[in-house]
Amino acid sequence: MSAYPSNLWSIPLLVVIPILVAVVVNLIYNRARLIKVISLASAICLALITLFSSYGYHWFTGQPALRPETLTFTFDPGLPAWRLALEFYFGPLQQAMIFIMSLILIFVVAVATSGLTKRQGPYMGMIFLLYASAAIIIMVNDFYHLWIAVEIGSLVVAGVVVGSGTSVSHKAALKYTFFSALSGAGLAIALALILGLTGYPNISDAIMYIQSVNLGEMSIILYVAFGFFVLSWIYAGGLAPIHPLKSEVYGASFPHGTAMLQTQSKLMLVAIGIVMLRVFGNLPFVREVMLAISVITMMLGVVMALIQTDFRWILAYLIVSHSGLVTVGISLGTTEGLVGGIFQAINDVIYMTVLLLCCEALYYFGGKTSTRHSLGLAKKAPWLGVAIILGTMAASGIPPFNGFQSEIILIQASLKAGLPEVAAVILMVSVTTFIALFRAIYRLFLKPPETSEPIVEAKVPMVLHVGLWVLVAITLIIGIYPNIVVSFITPVAEAVSLPWYL
Amino acid sequence: MVSVETLFDKVKKWISSFVVGRGYTNMMTGYMTGELQSLVFALILASFFRIFSIPLGMILLVAVIAGIFYFAPIITTLEKENSNDLNRVLFWVVIYFAVIIAVTLWGR
Repeated sequence: MSAYPSNLWSIPLLVVIPILVAVVVNLIYNRARLIKVISLASAICLALITLFSSYGYHWFTGQPALRPETLTFTFDPGLPAWRLALEFYFGPLQQAMIFIMSLILIFVVAVATSGLTKRQGPYMGMIFLLYASAAIIIMVNDFYHLWIAVEIGSLVVAGVVVGSGTSVSHKAALKYTFFSALSGAGLAIALALILGLTGYPNISDAIMYIQSVNLGEMSIILYVAFGFFVLSWIYAGGLAPIHPLKSEVYGASFPHGTAMLQTQSKLMLVAIGIVMLRVFGNLPFVREVMLAISVITMMLGVVMALIQTDFRWILAYLIVSHSGLVTVGISLGTTEGLVGGIFQAINDVIYMTVLLLCCEALYYFGGKTSTRHSLGLAKKAPWLGVAIILGTMAASGIPPFNGFQSEIILIQASLKAGLPEVAAVILMVSVTTFIALFRAIYRLFLKPPETSEPIVEAKVPMVLHVGLWVLVAITLIIGIYPNIVVSFITPVAEAVSLPWYL
Repeated sequence: MVSVETLFDKVKKWISSFVVGRGYTNMMTGYMTGELQSLVFALILASFFRIFSIPLGMILLVAVIAGIFYFAPIITTLEKENSNDLNRVLFWVVIYFAVIIAVTLWGR
């Protein structure tokens, strides 16, 4: 290892490219073909950068960790050493998460540029900013950038929803933005309290300080900071009690926009959740609180999905519910729990995108997503029927799809931690997901149409077909070979994990 | 003394009274399943409190069972509380925040 630190080339590119694309596509506004070429090329470029980049740091000020015995700089995140830096870190976990996000971005861009007829530039700009905000949160290791990225991410979510152009979406975006003031300020207070207590803006430094210094009565500040931090976590991920606003955001956007929104949201949940676990994980009752919020979110989301009568809203509530599945694993904080939670986030993002792309395809058959009327679409579009059933099986945790692998890890982690209640809730969420989705599938696809009114049929773009089947194939491949993803997650899970005490 | 059969009949009659009109429509099946799921979830959530204190978990479990019989059907209440009305969401956020701070400080 060199004594002179050098920044990793890929990290700034993963942030700057999407921001530059957002500026450029905004400028060219409505030139559809050019926007499509630039956006697609950039999305593919981002995926390739993620895939081929080595691991390392980018620091804005200060230094990477200094190895005390040799006085050389090191990239080893497990080494307890002062970093004193505002920095980003790109490791195996970041690689897996950002690569999946880049993959989803490619399909979202392809589908959006095929379907949208106006205001393509600003909309695509928002999609790329969403990517940038999530990439920063995934890589960040200092409080300043974390806060900035969460703030930007919240505003961009509103931008993507507004881009859908209906009055419902404007209302949903406005409501969501109102709350960003509350949670953004909450996060700022939390970070200010931690900074005041430790004096370190670097997350690793702050953790080392908290663990090595007896805080005495000052530790009470940490509890208050945790309260505000949780508020921001809840908001960013759409956990209970913010879930009605988040599900409204999901339901009011274009389905491809929702695919990107839920990707950002779930990966943010993982990234912020890990920071919370590292900073506050040793405080009593912290993980219990996180676990309770996760369980309540799972329950409320899935029960509300059962009583919806529109496929888009069913998906919106299921996305919320499955966010709870992700955070259950993070909240347990054990190695198995973390592996399960992070793996669930990656799987969830993929199979929910399959279902959302199916929902997008429904727009080409007259745009009816209400389950109040039966459409008998299986005859008109058997390929769509097959894709949606496969997506449902993956979402419900049925083998051999990817959802099964992560859910079984989560169930085992819960049982191992002595929490059979949590395992029971995870099982119930899986079963209920199947019921909620199949109710809609039966009405939309399988039940013969009630009226003789012919179903409008337009040509479904080829990119939608390609996107759907590639993602279905990925759910199957990860389901059969889970180690493809788990091997990226395990080292981080082992480094961050804490034993569950009962 | 009330026989088991009589008690069963009474409970069955009481539960059936919630079903008005056709009980097998698409909407109704969703609500019925949602109601059952909510009840089980509430019971599981109450038992979850045993990790703080076993007597607390037991008391909450009994309280939830009593609450279920008193407030059923709870799915309609859940649906109302799930409103995206800003004031209502803010109300729940404040309650959550207070509980989180209280519980973590209690743990201290």
